[in-house]
Amino acid sequence: MTMRVRLSWAASTVVFGMAIATPGLAQQDTTKRVRDSLAADSAALVRELARASARPAGGAGPTNARLLPDVSAVGDLLADFSRNGSTLEGGHRFSVREVEVAIQAAVDPYFRGEVFLGFNDEEGAAVEQAFIVTSSLPLGLEARGGRFLMPFGKQNLTHRHDLHTIDYPWVLQRFLGAEGLKGTGVSVSKVLAPFGFYQELQLTAVDQFGEADEALETEEPVNKRLGNLGYAARFRNYVDLTKHANIEVSASVVTGKRAQPTAGLVVGNAIPVRQSLVGIDVTYRWRPLQQGLYRSFILQGELIRQFNEDIADPGYQGPVGNHTGGYLFGRYQLTRRGYLGARYDWLDDPDLGGERLRAGSGYLEFFPSEFSKLLLGFERVAPTGGPAYGRILFQATFALGPHKPHPF
Amino acid sequence: MRTIGRTGKTMIRALVAGAWLFAASSAAAQTRLKVVTSTTDLLYIAEQVGGNRIEGKHISEGYQDPHFVEAKPSFVLDLRRADVWAFVGLDLEIGWMSLLLNGARNPKIKPGAPGYVDVSKAIPVIDVPSGAVDRSQGDVHPLGNPHYWLDPDNGKRIARLFRDRFAELDPAGAGAYEKNLGAFEATLDRAAAEWAGARAALRGKPIVAWHTSWRYFAEYTGVDIVGFMEPKPGVPPSPSHLAGLIMTMKRRGAKVIIMEPYYDRKTADFVATKAGATVLVLPPSVGGAKGIDDYGGMIRHNILALAKAVE
Ligand SMILES: [Zn+2]
Repeated sequence: MTMRVRLSWAASTVVFGMAIATPGLAQQDTTKRVRDSLAADSAALVRELARASARPAGGAGPTNARLLPDVSAVGDLLADFSRNGSTLEGGHRFSVREVEVAIQAAVDPYFRGEVFLGFNDEEGAAVEQAFIVTSSLPLGLEARGGRFLMPFGKQNLTHRHDLHTIDYPWVLQRFLGAEGLKGTGVSVSKVLAPFGFYQELQLTAVDQFGEADEALETEEPVNKRLGNLGYAARFRNYVDLTKHANIEVSASVVTGKRAQPTAGLVVGNAIPVRQSLVGIDVTYRWRPLQQGLYRSFILQGELIRQFNEDIADPGYQGPVGNHTGGYLFGRYQLTRRGYLGARYDWLDDPDLGGERLRAGSGYLEFFPSEFSKLLLGFERVAPTGGPAYGRILFQATFALGPHKPHPF
Repeated sequence: MRTIGRTGKTMIRALVAGAWLFAASSAAAQTRLKVVTSTTDLLYIAEQVGGNRIEGKHISEGYQDPHFVEAKPSFVLDLRRADVWAFVGLDLEIGWMSLLLNGARNPKIKPGAPGYVDVSKAIPVIDVPSGAVDRSQGDVHPLGNPHYWLDPDNGKRIARLFRDRFAELDPAGAGAYEKNLGAFEATLDRAAAEWAGARAALRGKPIVAWHTSWRYFAEYTGVDIVGFMEPKPGVPPSPSHLAGLIMTMKRRGAKVIIMEPYYDRKTADFVATKAGATVLVLPPSVGGAKGIDDYGGMIRHNILALAKAVE
């Protein structure tokens, strides 16, 4: 806050300097004009409200008589100023990482439908998510079917462009995928409160765990046996510590068989191998209710362990052993629109044969409004056995369309 | 099988007594309407009309910015069992309401159900933008100004709406609701008589407000808002806007800046110093300041404090 106030004080002093303290006759004319236009601008809202109309009680008809769904678009733009070349996908210095189009509406009295289409240069167009949800079930159950973000871990449930960092934490990128873990299937959730605080159990079954690698071919479809599908469970516990602070501690598991490469098969080049993840995540939030426009703090961490099935096959080239990774992320609100964030990542990287990867990153986040975001990120990545490197990234996101609620 | 000992018998007795108490209390609870409101003002008025036939909770605090409320999962628990969900409407709750309602999975308070009460439907709304709106005009309230509870005449309209809805959901209480409504209106009328002098003194007096939230209050009191700290609704003040505002204040003779407790006082103080004015922090809702615990008292406090400040 103080920074913004000081800035605005300085700037207004300059404006005053221009408007008031300039000597000379010709300049006095200009001064008067500047002053008049500033004064007129300051009353623009008053004039606008005077023009606005009033509406009698209950006088408004439906606001969406044609029952159009909510359509919105989010643009996610990235620039990479790293010293030793771009670290972005495709090696670009400037890129449109993704454009997401969302279409959402009530389908009928029983279902809500949501469709998210993703467009990007590398992968073209894709159905990111498409699902229906119903809460018209007994026992307060909610069920969804279709493609959705897998309820596993905390940050995986946030769209990438809504993160307060540029990328997902390394452990999520490596264990779940660079764009997060999605699944196509069904999910059921139940809210419980036997101890007076919020608990939720989410159970999910999906066609397969993770994204299929099209280059891999198994003799029989991986999902031929029902036991090979992807199954996940997440148990959330949320407690208000005070009116201003709260904590969520949740645990997740996911398991399923994935096609993994192996040499020397008669048919195909891959075999189904079980992989499982177990994770725990903790989120602490503080936001004083009265000063909440200007001050807040969040501290978040996740720890995930990956288990890979032992394969005796000597030609096996897939991931082996068990790996652990995690991150710790903190974000402090400096001003009404500015935030400072930092993240520490560590991971036994399955891509590096289980060697340790460490990364530290810092972020300056600025929201011109609720609908645009500018994010400057610095990251230092240190893989064991490889050279450490730095990243300097800039992200701009913008949202078009109706106001959407902020997921908590 | 062993016979039950003395401790066992005591335990059973305690259990039976506990079960009986539980049953009795839940039976009593069943007869009371569970009302959840988005703001403290709506809850206060609902409780005046509902009396002991309802039990209520509110989501946002009176000293909190109602435009930015977090959809905490704990609110979902309150909404799960609600018979009535009453909210300000006009998109004030757009940032969080759908998340809580979806999370609550409660058919009684879904849009269209009798327990879903959009209070703005009972209110004559002002500041409805004419023509096309887009966000270059700020995070506008495109359906009109939602801060209507700051006009006490709207307080009565809210109370009448609650009487109707409560009577619909609990016909046995219709008489009680009608009686309570009468008492509430009479209390407000008595308070209005008390503040009539101060209200008259406000007519035509130039002031500045932070947000358009005080427009209904201005309609009621006749105070003349000649400028806003915000250049556009929801947009934080910019230096050039404030420079212009200071000139406007000097020219129009505005001597008071009114603001809610959740905005940044330092910026208002800066403008006030430059314009030779004073800053007045007013509670925008019940609970918005210490000792502001009732609706009529909140309106009275605001009228009297402002009248004193513009003197
Ligand atoms: Zn507002």
